[in-house]
Amino acid sequence: MNIYLYDGSTEGLFSAIDHVLRHEPDPSAVVLGRREPGLFEEGVVLTTDRERADVLVRRFSSAFPRNAREVMYALFSEKEEIATVLLHYIHMVARHGGQVGAHLTHPVVNEVHLLACKVARELNRMKGLLRFAMLEDGSYLAKMEPDYNIIQPLSSFFTRRLGAQEWFIYDVGRGLVSRWDGSTLQYGALESFHAPALAPEEQEVRRCWKTFFSHIAIPERKNERLQKSCMPMKYWKYLVEKE
Amino acid sequence: METIEKLRILSGSARYDASCASSGSTRSGGKGSLGNASSGGICHSWSDDGRCISLLKVLLSNDCRYDCAYCVNRSSNRIPRASFTVEELVDLTVKFYRRNYIEGLFLSSAVMHGPDETMGRMVSVVRKLRREERFFGYIHMKVIPGCSDELLREAGLYADRLSVNIELPSQASLNLLAPQKDKQSILKPMAFLGNAIGESARERRKNRKAPRFSPAGQSTQMIIGASPESDYQILRLSEGLYRKMSLKRVYYSAYVPVNEDRRLPALRTPPLLREHRLYQADWLLRLYGFTAEEILSEEYPQLDEQLDPKAAWALRHPEYFPVDVNRAEYAALLRIPGVGVTSARRIVSARRFAPLTPEGLKKVGVVMKRARYFITCSGRPVERLIDRPALVRGRLLLADGATVSPSSQQRQLSLPGL
Repeated sequence: MNIYLYDGSTEGLFSAIDHVLRHEPDPSAVVLGRREPGLFEEGVVLTTDRERADVLVRRFSSAFPRNAREVMYALFSEKEEIATVLLHYIHMVARHGGQVGAHLTHPVVNEVHLLACKVARELNRMKGLLRFAMLEDGSYLAKMEPDYNIIQPLSSFFTRRLGAQEWFIYDVGRGLVSRWDGSTLQYGALESFHAPALAPEEQEVRRCWKTFFSHIAIPERKNERLQKSCMPMKYWKYLVEKE
Repeated sequence: METIEKLRILSGSARYDASCASSGSTRSGGKGSLGNASSGGICHSWSDDGRCISLLKVLLSNDCRYDCAYCVNRSSNRIPRASFTVEELVDLTVKFYRRNYIEGLFLSSAVMHGPDETMGRMVSVVRKLRREERFFGYIHMKVIPGCSDELLREAGLYADRLSVNIELPSQASLNLLAPQKDKQSILKPMAFLGNAIGESARERRKNRKAPRFSPAGQSTQMIIGASPESDYQILRLSEGLYRKMSLKRVYYSAYVPVNEDRRLPALRTPPLLREHRLYQADWLLRLYGFTAEEILSEEYPQLDEQLDPKAAWALRHPEYFPVDVNRAEYAALLRIPGVGVTSARRIVSARRFAPLTPEGLKKVGVVMKRARYFITCSGRPVERLIDRPALVRGRLLLADGATVSPSSQQRQLSLPGL
């Protein structure tokens, strides 16, 4: 069994996968791991080749768009040990074609599929549960703490939906922020965060929303269990209606 | 009156409308426009009754001239009355949308002076949203029966979905509980919408730039448990609406007693379990290829409250089973309790690579605690019990945690006067 190590970055992962696919006779027997500096290293350390990583991602995405989506989503799960599974998955798809993604009883396909489903589910939830607040300067800010690293697909969704306003999405847990200025989307990391002042109308709009929220429920049908199962409490922290 | 006070009154009056779907339509504008509609629909919150909130669901006004027995807004009720101005409602919708509170607007109204005047004001709201605010979010609009065809036509150009409430499942019940409404005045706009929606879809196949008319189709809603119709009658009605009027959805709304009225049944709690079973049966009609006659009959006119309608059907038809998951067609897979639309599709594609085992079925999402009695995997049965339906029934109830007690609480108590 061959062990390879990469630097832990996304480019590093795809560059390593590219290397293994080109040089190893049997990629399905290869283990791919993240290099932990300072630890005793067992395995071949690969240097990251951004260009090769780029080519692999582009080719794979255009040839197998559906499978590429599953790979990206599985990657956003940030699960440890994901590297080897993704290597085996990409190898399988390259060899047998995109349909192999439906071979759900295969352990590799199943794992990628389940992870991708979980991420897609949270992404879908967050498209609805994200709450923007209007700031003093007229731009909007939304804070969130999702389980998975979904800021990229989420931000690109909001460029289409709220394209005419300026906004920020802030992943508090990961310290990541995305910024849309009406024409371009940028990502960055945030070291410290100072809560900016809200627009004067913000409190009034929130009061209206809370009023709506409490009166749209039918008291005779009260069902908190159902509410919590559809909208888990971990998401309540940034919900205006659950403040 | 302040906007927030109006919002309190007019969302409280709108909450008995069941639909909150925001699916079935894609819509997006160019630069500078606001919002888009996403075909899968998006839920933005869940209220304390566990129902999803996707749209800002409000009445334009609750000042009603009709006096329907079951309705909280009936003219004889002494409740605070309010009406939004067009500007107020447009402003509120836009402010909520920009903060991602909502997917769009669900606009209904009490009938103020007359159908045309009310519908006309509702159309002005959505016209302003679409034309002036360049709003491309989702809009669901109620149709006020009796309004002119011109208003219907204009509403269809702005709304993603239109709906006419059928209110009660029979003419007799309408006569009794909503004497100012009648079946014909409800079916007429429905038929008009059905034609216009079909025509627009045909036109758009020829010419992609042809105008859209209510692209997410039309739906309707009826109240369950305020009148004596059986589940069989209700399902037959729904089936007819799906077939003849090509409705997208029929919503069932468990009757919540909001008024004291001799014509209405005395219920301790809304018949929620009955509503739930009707929705399950409705799914069987729309997506699983069942007919109303297969689910119920004149002899057995009520759905089994303890068991879901598909399992109940399967137990009455042991001759249909076992189904071999590795050979059966998609339509046959759909009939297995514990197999849904998604898992049936996954079975069909996964078995091309390798035959499915009970373990594999679990992986593709089949609910084995239900399916196990009804299937074989390449000839091998999982449980050999299918010729003993009574025993299987017991096992199924046990597997579901046999929640019999809440069901008896929710059962209807009496239907006086009917």
